[in-house]
Amino acid sequence: MAANLHDIATSGEVVIQGATIHYQGPNGPVQVLSATDLTLSSGSFTALIGPSGCGKSTLLNAIAGFVRPSGGTIRVDGRPVTGPSPEVGVVFQQYALFPWFTARGNIEFALKRFGLSRAERREAALEALAEVGLHGRAETYPGQLSGGMKQRVALARTLASKPKVLLMDEPFGALDAQTRVSMHELLLRVMDAHRSTVLFVTHDVDEGLVLADRAHVMSATPGRIIDTLELGERRNRSVDKVDTAYIANRNRIMGLLRHREDEPAAALPRRATA
Amino acid sequence: MTISLAQSDLAQSGLAQVGRTLLSIGGVVAVWWLIAASGLVNPDLFPTPDAVWLAAMDLYQEGILLSDMGTSLTRAAIGFLIGAIGGVLVGLLTARTRVIGFALNPLLTLLRPIPAIALVPLAIVWFGIGEGSKYFVIAYTVFLAVWLNTHHGTSSVANTYIRASRSLGASTPREFFEVVVPAAAPHIVAGLRMGAALAFLSLVAAELSGASSGIGFRIQEARQFIQTDRMFVGLIELGLLGAALDLFFVSLSRRLVHWEHL
Ligand SMILES: Nc1ncnc2c1ncn2[C@@H]1O[C@H](COP(=O)(O)OP(=O)(O)OP(=O)(O)O)[C@@H](O)[C@H]1O
Ligand SMILES: [Mg+2]
Repeated sequence: MAANLHDIATSGEVVIQGATIHYQGPNGPVQVLSATDLTLSSGSFTALIGPSGCGKSTLLNAIAGFVRPSGGTIRVDGRPVTGPSPEVGVVFQQYALFPWFTARGNIEFALKRFGLSRAERREAALEALAEVGLHGRAETYPGQLSGGMKQRVALARTLASKPKVLLMDEPFGALDAQTRVSMHELLLRVMDAHRSTVLFVTHDVDEGLVLADRAHVMSATPGRIIDTLELGERRNRSVDKVDTAYIANRNRIMGLLRHREDEPAAALPRRATA
Repeated sequence: MTISLAQSDLAQSGLAQVGRTLLSIGGVVAVWWLIAASGLVNPDLFPTPDAVWLAAMDLYQEGILLSDMGTSLTRAAIGFLIGAIGGVLVGLLTARTRVIGFALNPLLTLLRPIPAIALVPLAIVWFGIGEGSKYFVIAYTVFLAVWLNTHHGTSSVANTYIRASRSLGASTPREFFEVVVPAAAPHIVAGLRMGAALAFLSLVAAELSGASSGIGFRIQEARQFIQTDRMFVGLIELGLLGAALDLFFVSLSRRLVHWEHL
């Protein structure tokens, strides 16, 4: 048990140094992420907040190994990211559940890398579904599940592959406000048990503030981190408790986002010289 | 509760479907009868429904009706199987090989407009007047349709599925068999359905020239004796068999890619 805790405490650290990312545009490469330094310490919960198109998904996809940075380094526990790996799990906004598998089948897909017996795998999949409150839906196909249920299965599937880092790209963006709040509670509860390092991308400021220990605010053209807020221990906050620090943080981020939106002219010359 | 409701809905819509089909067939026969009986058309050229029925009974008693059907269906089935298996295998291969993908479109643009009937003379020269030339023509048209659909389905698998699969630690073979193939399956099945319809069309093309049995041959034979009633029998057979085949593929698709129908 002690060895286990030690393991968890020293793994899942993401260190990004000077990472830049370019996409191929019609007139040559376009920079979508300017040199970015970012550290996600082991077991932390970090929110990445920013307006649409500022490069949040791009940065997340680079950590996931889906997109190759054109410069700089991204390391997970000291090893450079060279491609997708089960060490770094991803929960997508569009769920990305396989519609041809049942809920259980989707989770078993993630479990197959552990070489369990068929019965063990089935057992583990049912446990994972129970953890997200869907034990009764094991044999249901994703097409028959609601958006919130789909995302719970997706979370259970990703966690089933035991990632050290969990990347979530606007996972609740398509859900209604009420479902979203219950998903926040579920996520915090489940992550207390799993203790992966989490990077949570959102453009919903409140969502970021409720969930994370630390928030980075991004701005566009080219994408970069413009501010970092320490939100304190997650354990001391709860979804329905709003204090003055919360409001101060909220105002600060809203101010940053609004400020950028008001000055499109400031961004234009910068792009012209890039 | 909801499931039993859905089932009774299904049964009801199934019954309604049968009712509508019977009604529309009855309507067609009634109009046909009226036209034939009106005296406006020559009954030798445009037979009445009862004349066609009698011709069908004749053919049945001669043992030709069923043996023609058997011959034609066997040809279509063998040609279809060769073309479909080839089309799926080649389609999966070309979709996974980038270089072939580039060369594929111009090739298909050239091949697709060639109608099956234009291939029949060449097929006869290559494979003789026997079954070989029929299999070839049918297999070729089926192959093209199935290849195209399989290639398209396999090369347009949503990127998030591939990303999800890889970041869940799936090996390349597992990604192929558990993600790429099922994701492409709806396109593959649509290709098979289209291939079955094409198998039927090219079957008739192959039988109309250079055959001594089968439904297409029987229609051609009837032309020499101006037996329009027998021609009608052949045409109706083709219509019924084609429709049955399509229904079969629709229900196959509901089974094979059931998640598409949720
Ligand atoms: N595959 C791509 N090829 C070219 N440009 C891209 C590609 N993907 C994203 N971009 C561009 O990169 C920029 C950042 O995109 P990204 O998807 O990272 O933004 P985002 O912050 O996630 O936005 P949103 O909140 O809308 O999801 C955008 O200007 C977008 O147009
Ligand atoms: Mg995004």
